[in-house]
Amino acid sequence: MMPQRADELSDEQLMSRLGGPEVEAALSKLYDRYSRTVYGVGLKILGDRSLSEELVQDVFLKVWRSSSTFNPSRASFSTWLYMVTRSVAIDLYRKRAHRVHQIPDGETHVLTTRDPSEGPQEVVDESWLSWRVSRALEVLDVPHKEVIHLAYFEGLSQREISERTGVPLGTVKSRTASAFKSLRGELAVGDTLQEAIR
Amino acid sequence: MKCAEIHPNLTAFVLGGLEPEEAAEVRRHLASCPSCRNELRELQKVSHALEAAPPPADPPSYLKDEILSRVRAEALYPSTKADSSSLVERRRSSKTSRFNRLKDLRIVLPSAAAAAVVAMITLGVFFGFMREEPPVATIQLVPTPQEAAALNGYWGVAEIRPQPSGNQQVELKLNNFEEPKPNSYYELWFVSGEKRISAGSFTSVSQGEIRVLLNVPPEASNYHTLLITEQHIDNDSAPGEEVALKGEVP
Repeated sequence: MMPQRADELSDEQLMSRLGGPEVEAALSKLYDRYSRTVYGVGLKILGDRSLSEELVQDVFLKVWRSSSTFNPSRASFSTWLYMVTRSVAIDLYRKRAHRVHQIPDGETHVLTTRDPSEGPQEVVDESWLSWRVSRALEVLDVPHKEVIHLAYFEGLSQREISERTGVPLGTVKSRTASAFKSLRGELAVGDTLQEAIR
Repeated sequence: MKCAEIHPNLTAFVLGGLEPEEAAEVRRHLASCPSCRNELRELQKVSHALEAAPPPADPPSYLKDEILSRVRAEALYPSTKADSSSLVERRRSSKTSRFNRLKDLRIVLPSAAAAAVVAMITLGVFFGFMREEPPVATIQLVPTPQEAAALNGYWGVAEIRPQPSGNQQVELKLNNFEEPKPNSYYELWFVSGEKRISAGSFTSVSQGEIRVLLNVPPEASNYHTLLITEQHIDNDSAPGEEVALKGEVP
C-alpha cells in the first residue's frame, strides 16, 4: 500500500506522526495549515510583530514537544492548538508588559498599540473569536476567500470586484453569498467547540 | 421583488457592496418581508464576526525553517529536549527564537532587540570560541545592600564585547551564585533611570562558577547600570524587585 502524503492526512493523523520518523513532514504540514492563524491572532492580541513571530515559534515547538498530550477524543486539533496558542500568548503578553519599555530614539522598539488597561486575560479572551474567524476564512477555497478579502478587507463593491478580477458580476455575488454561507456554518461549529472547551 | 431575487444580493447588501439603486430595492423589500429580515440578521452576525478577523498576514518565511531545524536538532540529540512544563523549556524556547532571529534583527525584527536575546548557560565550560574580541568593559557586580547578607561568598563580573552585528555580548562570570528560589529565575537588566532593557534570563546552582552569555541591542550602550534580579515564574509581568547583583559601567 502506498504511504499517504502529508497533505492528504487530517490534522489528527499528522499529530500522531509527530513522534515518528515523519515528524518534519507532519509538522511542516500542520505549520502550513495553521501558522497564518497563529500569527494573525498573535498580531491581533499582542500587537507586536516580533512577539507574534515568537508566538509562532513557541507554539509549533510546543505542538511537537507536547504532541503526546493531544487527545483527539477530547478536542479537535484546531481547538487544542488554540488552547496552546492562548497559553503561550498569555506568557508573551506578560513578558511584553515588562520588556517593552520606552527606549530613547527607538520608536521602532515600541510597537504596542493595545490599551494598557486591558489585562492579559481579557485580551486573550478575545482571541477565540479571532481564531474561529481566521480558521473559517482559511478553509474557504481561493475564489471565495478572494471575494471576501476584496469586499471586506479592501471595501470594494461587488461591481468593483468584478472589474478587478474579471469575474462576471453575477458570479461575484453568488461567490460572496456562498462564502458567507460557509463562514456561517464554520462559525456555528466554532460555537459548539467553544462550549466544549469551557 | 420576490425573496428569491433579493437573496443573492443580501450578502453584498450587508457588506455595503451594492450599487445605490440595488441597495434601495433591497431596503424596500426588507421593509415588507420578515423572512428576509431574519436572514439579514444572520448575515449581519457573520459580518460582525469578521471584525474579529486577524489581519491577513503571513509569518516570515524563515520561521518555518527555524522551527524544523530546531526539531531536527532535538530529535537527533534527545537529551536537549526540555520538559514542556518546565521553566527550563520556557526559557530555552524563548532563547531559541531570539537567538535564531539575531541575523534578522536589523531588517525584520527591530523590536525584538528590546527584548532579551540569548542566554547560554554553562557550568565550568570554557567558551574559547566566543572570545575572539577582548572585552571593552569589565563590570564588577556586587551584592546590593538588601541582599548582601543572604548572598555571601560569591563574586561576579560582566564582560561586554561588541559584536559585528552591532549588538553587545555580555558574559557573566558568577561564582557560587545562589540558586534561585523555587519557580524563579534570574534576569539581567541594563538600566538607565526608569528605563530597562532585559538582556535575558538564566538560572544557577549554588556551587562553582557559572558563565552566562547574553546579547543586548546596541541601545543598551546608553544604559550604564546592570542589575540581576530574581523573577518569579508566575509574576514575570513586572521586573523583579529582588536585586541580587548590581554593577555600573565605567
